[in-house]
Amino acid sequence: MNLIRIGSKQAAGVVIGPVFAILAALVAGGIILLIIGFNPLKTYYELFSLGAGTYLGITESLKRMAPLLIMSAGLIIVFKAGVWNIGGNGQFLIGAVLAAGIAPLIMDKLPIFFYFVVLGLLGFIGGASWVCIPAILKAKYEINEIIVTMMMDFIAVNFTSYLVRYPLNAQPGLFPQTAVLPIEKRLPNISLTEVHIGLIVGLVMVVLVHYFIKRTALGYEFRFAGENKKAAIYAGINIKKVIVLAMLLSGGFAGLAGANDVLGIKGSFQAEWNPQYAFSAIPLVFLARFNGFAVIPLAYFFSFLSIGGEFMSRAANVPVFFVQVAEALMLIFFGVSEYLKKRSKLF
Amino acid sequence: MNSIFSEPFFTVLFGGTLTASTPIILAAIGEDFVESGGILNLGLEGMMLLGAFTAFIAALITENVYIGLLSGMAAGVVLGLLFGYLVIYLKINQIVAGLGIGLFAIGITSLLFRILFGAEFPVIPDITDKTAIPLLSKIPYASSIFNQHLITYISWILLPIAWWVLYKTSFGLNVRAVGENPAAADVHGVNVYRTRYLTLLFEGVLAGLGGAFLSICDLSFFVFHMTQGRGFIAIAVVMLAKWNPAGIFYGAFLFGICHSLTYGLQILGLDVPREFILMLPYVAVIALLCILARNTRFPAAFCNPYERE
Repeated sequence: MNLIRIGSKQAAGVVIGPVFAILAALVAGGIILLIIGFNPLKTYYELFSLGAGTYLGITESLKRMAPLLIMSAGLIIVFKAGVWNIGGNGQFLIGAVLAAGIAPLIMDKLPIFFYFVVLGLLGFIGGASWVCIPAILKAKYEINEIIVTMMMDFIAVNFTSYLVRYPLNAQPGLFPQTAVLPIEKRLPNISLTEVHIGLIVGLVMVVLVHYFIKRTALGYEFRFAGENKKAAIYAGINIKKVIVLAMLLSGGFAGLAGANDVLGIKGSFQAEWNPQYAFSAIPLVFLARFNGFAVIPLAYFFSFLSIGGEFMSRAANVPVFFVQVAEALMLIFFGVSEYLKKRSKLF
Repeated sequence: MNSIFSEPFFTVLFGGTLTASTPIILAAIGEDFVESGGILNLGLEGMMLLGAFTAFIAALITENVYIGLLSGMAAGVVLGLLFGYLVIYLKINQIVAGLGIGLFAIGITSLLFRILFGAEFPVIPDITDKTAIPLLSKIPYASSIFNQHLITYISWILLPIAWWVLYKTSFGLNVRAVGENPAAADVHGVNVYRTRYLTLLFEGVLAGLGGAFLSICDLSFFVFHMTQGRGFIAIAVVMLAKWNPAGIFYGAFLFGICHSLTYGLQILGLDVPREFILMLPYVAVIALLCILARNTRFPAAFCNPYERE
C-alpha cells in the first residue's frame, strides 16, 4: 500500500512538474502575445492545429523529432554526469558538414546500408571532435566547459561557412552549398509513411542511452559523478574519464543529429544553415528530468510546436521566434517548478 | 595592397580595438562583482542583447543617444533583477536560469524586431558624438585612440573604480565575503540576499550599457543576436582576470584587437577568407583560458544558493 502510494506519487511528480512548466510558459507566452497585439487563443489554436492537426504537420513534426531525440540522448549523458555541453549547435553543424562533404564521394562506392552507417559514424566523429578541446581543458585544467563549448559553437559556424563557401562548394557562383544528394541516396522512409528512418534511430538512441545510464556500470559512474563529485572521487571513480567520455558522447550525438538532417531532410549543407536544435533540446531534457522515456513525448511536443511555428509564420504573421521564446520560458518555469516542488512537497 | 604601416590600418586597428573592447569591459566589470558574490550569471549575454535592442528602439524613436543608453541600462536591470529573483529567492540552478534568460532574450528581441520592422533593418541617423581629446587626437597613426565615444572613456575610468570598490570598501568586502562564506557573512550582519541583489543590479546597469553601446554607439542598427557571444566572452575575461577588475582590461583589449583585425586585415587587402578572421576572437579566448585560467580557484560559494538557517 505504502509502496503503491510512493510509486504513484513519484509518477505524479514526474508528470506534474513538466506540465506545470509548459502551461505556465504558455500562459506567460500568451500574455506576451496579447501585449504585442495578437489573440493568444487564436494563435495557440493555429499553432497546435497546424503542427499536430494536419497530415503534413504530423509528418513534419515526426521528422523534426529525429534530431531532437538524438541530441537529447547526448545531453542526458552529459547532464547526468554533471558536465555542461551547451555548444550542441556547433557540434551539429560539424557533423552535418562532414556527412554532407563525404557523402557524394562514397555514395557510389559503398552498399547503401554501409554508406549510411559510415556517414552516421562520420557525423558522430565530427561532433565528438568538436568537444575534444573543451573536454580535455575541463578534465585536465578545470577550465569552464560552458564557456569553451560556447566559443567552439561560434568557431563552428564560421568554419562550416568557410567549408561550404570554398572547398565543398558544389556550385561556385551560385548560392553556396555542398553537392545535393539524389533522393535514392537519402534516408528511406518508414514503410507506409513519409517519415524517414531517422526517427527510429532517434527513438533507439534515447532508449539505449536511458538504459546505459540506468543499468550499466559506466552509466552508474556517470550518475555518481554527476550527483556527488567529491564522493565519486573518494569512491575511486576516474572523474576525468567520466568528463571526457560524457562530453565526447554528447558531442557525437549532436554530430549524428547533423548527419541525420543532411541525409534525411536537406540532402546537402547550405550556407547560413543553422537550425539551433540545441536551444530546444536543452529545455527539453530538463523538462524530461534526464529521463529517456519522458524525452520522447516531450520531443514530439517540441517538434509540433516548432513545426506549427514555422507553418504559422507563413500563414499568420506570428514569427517563428515566438516558439523560441516559449521554449526559453519553459526552461525558466521548469526551474520554478523545482522550487515549488521543494517548497510545497505537493508533487 | 596597403602597406601594413599605412595610417588607415592603424587608425582602424587602434580605434576599432578600443571600441570593440568597451562592451566587454562594461559587462565584465558587472560580472566580476556578481561572481565575487558567488553567483554565475550566464544570462549576461541576454542582458547585453536586451540592452542593445531596447537602446536601439529608444534611440530610433527619440534620436537621442543618451535616452537610448539609459533605456538599455534599464532593460539590463530588469533582466538582472529577474535573474536575481530566480536564483536568490527561488534558488533555481543558476546555470539553468542563466541559459533560460539568455535564450529568452535572443527569442524576444528577434520576435519584437521582426514584428516591428518586418524584413527591414532601419539605421539610426547619426547621433553618436565622439569625444576627441584635444591635441592627443591629432597624433598621427594614434589619432583614433583619443577619438572615442564618451562611454569608452567612462569604461576605462570604471576599471580602477571597480577595483577600489571591490578591494578597498566595506561593500566590496561584503560582496567577497558573501561569495566565500555566506553563512559567516550573515552571522556578521551582512545581508546576503541584498548584497547579491545589488551586484546583479549593478551588473544589469553595466551589461545593459554595454549592449546599448554596441547597437547605438559602435553601430547604429540592430541585428538578430548581435551580441554574438560577447556575454560569454565577458565571463571568460572575468575568469582570466581571476576576479580582479584590474585584469579585465587585458582580456577585453585582446578581444578588441582580434575583433578590429576583422576590418584591419580587410583594409590591408589580405587574401584570408573572412571566416577565419571572424573566428579569431573565439579562438583567442580559448587559447588564453588554456594558458591563464588553469585550475583557477573560484569563490568558495560559487554557484551555491544561500539558504538562511
